[in-house]
Amino acid sequence: MRLRALVASGLAAGVVLLSAPAAVAMEEEHEIPVGVEENSDLGEEELHCLAEQVAAFEALEANPEAGSRVETCEESPNPILPATNEIVWGGIAFLVVFFLMWKFAVPAIRKGLQAREDRIRSDLEAAEAAKQEAENLRGQYQQQIADARAEAGRIIDEARQAADAMRRDVHESAEAEATAARARAESEIDLTVSRAQSDLQREVADFAVRLAERIVERNLDRDAQQALIDQYIAEVGGLGGNGRSRGGNGSGGSASDN
Amino acid sequence: MTPSILGALEFPPISHLLEWPEFLFEDTLFGINKAVLLTLIGAMMVLGFFMAAGRRRELVPTGMQNAGEMAIEFIEQDIVVNVMGPEARHWTPFMASIFFFILFLNIFGIIPLVQFPVPSRMAIPMFLALQTWVLMLVVGFKHQGFKFLPNTLFPPGVPGALKPLLAFIELLSVFILRPFTLMVRLFANLMAGHMLLTTFYVLSAALWVKSVGLVVLPLPVAMAIFVTAFEILVAVLQAYIFTILTAVYVSESMHGH
Repeated sequence: MRLRALVASGLAAGVVLLSAPAAVAMEEEHEIPVGVEENSDLGEEELHCLAEQVAAFEALEANPEAGSRVETCEESPNPILPATNEIVWGGIAFLVVFFLMWKFAVPAIRKGLQAREDRIRSDLEAAEAAKQEAENLRGQYQQQIADARAEAGRIIDEARQAADAMRRDVHESAEAEATAARARAESEIDLTVSRAQSDLQREVADFAVRLAERIVERNLDRDAQQALIDQYIAEVGGLGGNGRSRGGNGSGGSASDN
Repeated sequence: MTPSILGALEFPPISHLLEWPEFLFEDTLFGINKAVLLTLIGAMMVLGFFMAAGRRRELVPTGMQNAGEMAIEFIEQDIVVNVMGPEARHWTPFMASIFFFILFLNIFGIIPLVQFPVPSRMAIPMFLALQTWVLMLVVGFKHQGFKFLPNTLFPPGVPGALKPLLAFIELLSVFILRPFTLMVRLFANLMAGHMLLTTFYVLSAALWVKSVGLVVLPLPVAMAIFVTAFEILVAVLQAYIFTILTAVYVSESMHGH
């Protein structure tokens, strides 16, 4: 659409421009100075022109009315009017430049710019993604480290608790064992004491009977004898150590009596 | 008979700036003279530059590719998008063509041994200005239909009494004067610059011929150098102005006032 508009404008401009200067050029044909020969080359023409000018200048001095001749010789093309061939070539050149710029050069450069833009954008996005991933990994690692620390703390706590429990167990069992051992020892001691007491009773009784038999022989009747023994036994059984020491005294006395 | 009539300095007649004889296909529509030759060379340079810039697709642009990309982005951002809006990006190739075509032809004015700005001849400015004008009309009628004329002639918010006067002014300025101002601005700037350069070059050369010592006289040579630098500015500026005005005119036709 744009191209069509441009070509149309170019053509329109060409048509307008071609008609104007051509008419002017035809007009200029008639204004060649009369004195200049048509078959003269450029140098000759200049000489002629100079001669014309000098003559005109002299004529001007003689008669001020003839001033126009001087200007005729020096007349140059009107700089405002364009040359047809330059318009034709200029128009063609511009339209070709525009067409190739439009179809090839600018799209190619734009493609390059676009490719760079895309590349930079994708690189930035990739960098962003990589950064994000690194952040995620860092978070994961930090989480793992925190987990590991918590695990280690837990293990240490457990171990400490286990150790405490074990110590408590050991302590308790040792105490219980000690208590049991003491109880056993006390009961053994009691048993031994009571056995020793009963042994002593029997021994003392026997000893007293034999001693009494030997002292009294047949002086005592059976009933008196038995009463005496029982009294003695009661004394020994009730007093313990006194009975023993009295018995000792008795035996000592009896031994000395023997 | 003596040169004394023409003065001591043999200044070339003004016609030497204006008459460029054809040396190929003489007296046809396709006659080739210096201006045409330079037009064709300039067009090929523009195309060569952008084709070379577009062919390479380095990720990190260097040289031609960098310059071409910068040029297209400059046209697209500073002229097309700024003036016509982002939806008019498809105008970039056209505006780039106008800008660089004019720029390359302008810059011939200061290239040594060439020293001829083609737009100092009326043909190129006239063609481009008329093209802009026709384009402006075509785009206007295409986008606004026949409301294009009333929309342009009667801007909104004008008191009724002023409407006829304003319509006359708008008619004159938009539809008649625009192509002329566009054409004359480019042509006259380049023509004037060309004549200034010629004047100072010829003056320097004439002084040098008269006496070698005279060439060191500061004014002509210094002015020639200064005007050359100035002409670079003018070459770029005029190409820019022509392009941006084309964009403004087409944009106004698209969107109305």
